[in-house]
Amino acid sequence: MAMNREQTAGASIRISRLEKRFGNVSAVDGVDIDISAGEFLALLGPSGSGKTTILMSLAGFEFPTAGNIVIGSEDLTYVPANKRNLGMVFQNYTLFPHMSILDNVAFPLKMRGVAKPERYARAEEALATVRLAGYGERFSSQLSGGQQQRVALARAIVYRPRVLLMDEPLSALDKNLREDMQLEIKRLHAELGITVIFVTHDQSEALTMADRVAVLKDGRIQQIGPSRELYERPANLFTAGFIGEMNFIGVTVESVGEAIAVSLPSGEHWNVPSTSAVDPLQAGQKAVLAVRPERLQIGGEGAAFAFHVKLADIVYAGSALLLIGHLPDGTEIRARLPGASDLSTLTPGATAVFSVPKEAILLYAGGAK
Amino acid sequence: MTSGIRSQFWHSDGRRLSGLSTLLLLLPFFAIIAFVFVYPIGQLLWISFTEPKPTLDNYARVVTNPVYARVLLRTLWTAVLVTGLCVILGFPVAYYMSRARAAVAAFVGVCVILPLWSSVLVRTAAWSFLLQRQGLVNSGLMATGITSEPLKLLYTQSAVVVAMAHVLLPFMILPIFGALRSIPDDYMRAAAVLGAPRFRTFLEVILPLSLPGIASGSLLVFLTALGFFITPALLGSPQELMIATLVSQQIREVLDWPFASALVGVLTLFVTLLALIFSKTLRFDRLMGAQ
Repeated sequence: MAMNREQTAGASIRISRLEKRFGNVSAVDGVDIDISAGEFLALLGPSGSGKTTILMSLAGFEFPTAGNIVIGSEDLTYVPANKRNLGMVFQNYTLFPHMSILDNVAFPLKMRGVAKPERYARAEEALATVRLAGYGERFSSQLSGGQQQRVALARAIVYRPRVLLMDEPLSALDKNLREDMQLEIKRLHAELGITVIFVTHDQSEALTMADRVAVLKDGRIQQIGPSRELYERPANLFTAGFIGEMNFIGVTVESVGEAIAVSLPSGEHWNVPSTSAVDPLQAGQKAVLAVRPERLQIGGEGAAFAFHVKLADIVYAGSALLLIGHLPDGTEIRARLPGASDLSTLTPGATAVFSVPKEAILLYAGGAK
Repeated sequence: MTSGIRSQFWHSDGRRLSGLSTLLLLLPFFAIIAFVFVYPIGQLLWISFTEPKPTLDNYARVVTNPVYARVLLRTLWTAVLVTGLCVILGFPVAYYMSRARAAVAAFVGVCVILPLWSSVLVRTAAWSFLLQRQGLVNSGLMATGITSEPLKLLYTQSAVVVAMAHVLLPFMILPIFGALRSIPDDYMRAAAVLGAPRFRTFLEVILPLSLPGIASGSLLVFLTALGFFITPALLGSPQELMIATLVSQQIREVLDWPFASALVGVLTLFVTLLALIFSKTLRFDRLMGAQ
């Protein structure tokens, strides 16, 4: 591979105290992110969380109200987009329809004054990198969505930028293609050593692809960390609910010591290890106990962390079995069990006993939703 | 062709209309076109070949008499100038409209379309008022000291070109606006992030993508300008006839219908040829919104 790692190795990015206001509305409200060279960072959040505004500020399409953006050693906060030398892939491919695929990929090189023969040679090479060698003569209308997005990817890396920005690049593709492209992007990232900032609202995509995920809400970072940390120990209730499925049970803290004693709405009293508490808790206060549906096990009457649930629905979905039930206070409980689980006597309307391994329990301050 | 038409028509319950129903729906339109356009034009062309006897003499006169050839060339040249002026004046307006906020774009759009609802005669009369010896343009030129005495502005070819461009401008602005507005903002962003300065983005992306709009606007303006009558008649010089004025003279003053018909025949030939060339080279069906 001619595009060796030295030439295209990624740049570090430092976003400090970034703020962007549109009139009275704060789209980004004091965001700090340090991204190391060659890292793959996903910005994840619902719409209006500020993730796109951060990306637009990085690309230079928006200038922030306050704060700054340093890429490598250069402060690029107010540098126009065309002078930043960043790669970017958009949601809707944005291939220029009046140019051939080869001309599209060669376009950034043309803007950089690269002579025609070299321009086309490098464009061919970039097309080969995304496995589209020989497609240069075609036009974007003759390509499928997935192919178009790969061309867009080739066009974004052909000038060897040190940072690649991706704005929901896969959301226009259907599911199978999306998974192919996820792998393609991961492979390119590994091959080129480029720093990638990837905006998405799809949490499984973020968890699968990124080294670290930054979860955003209302213009602020809720949590930033590796996928596993985000999934297994969400820093707050928003992240806990946003990433994956989660059962939230409103509990009352009875005492705090070496263990934390809580009482459940279903009447059980648990002595939860103090490491389960994400927030500091005090005796007498309301708290939320969170547990992932796939960590619930059926049975275990008399175990340390067991509770009773009145079943409402049992949904068989091949590889998995979804049990939906309620606690006496109306809290919905979902459990995901292997599809082959033997439920024997359990039917909707029956009361089931679920148990939870102690390391799967998380406690947050605050009332249940 | 029929399948193209049929696919556009649907029952209100979602079923496709049959070919026969489609034909019935289109019949009134085609009947009117046949009655007020195809029949009279056919009749005229028939006369041009058959009177006073079956002959090509009428056409020979158009081509061989330098006076008439000159009228024809002048008409074409005027239409070219008018089209060029409309592109130059219209593109910036269309570009502004396509980039402006919706309310601003709507306001400009109304300003562009509004003159279409006043008669060509009124708009032309306004120009003769502005361009006369004591008119606003001359008094303005003299007040600023650019000229010391009134210029002859009225009854010149320039007056005709300017006034025709004014009358036809909306037909240039609207198709260009349509083409520009269908360019997604992300194309501009993509070009910028790929390293293109604004001017290069315009040259390499916006302009090529607006060419279909410029082409269809030019076709509309050019073809309309070829047959323009009122403006050249009111603002033009009697020594510099255009073809429509000439046809009118031949019919109403000289009463030479066969020769006037031959002039119309030549004009029709030009228009048809141009329309064919445009539709072949610029995919006219695509300009009209087909995929």
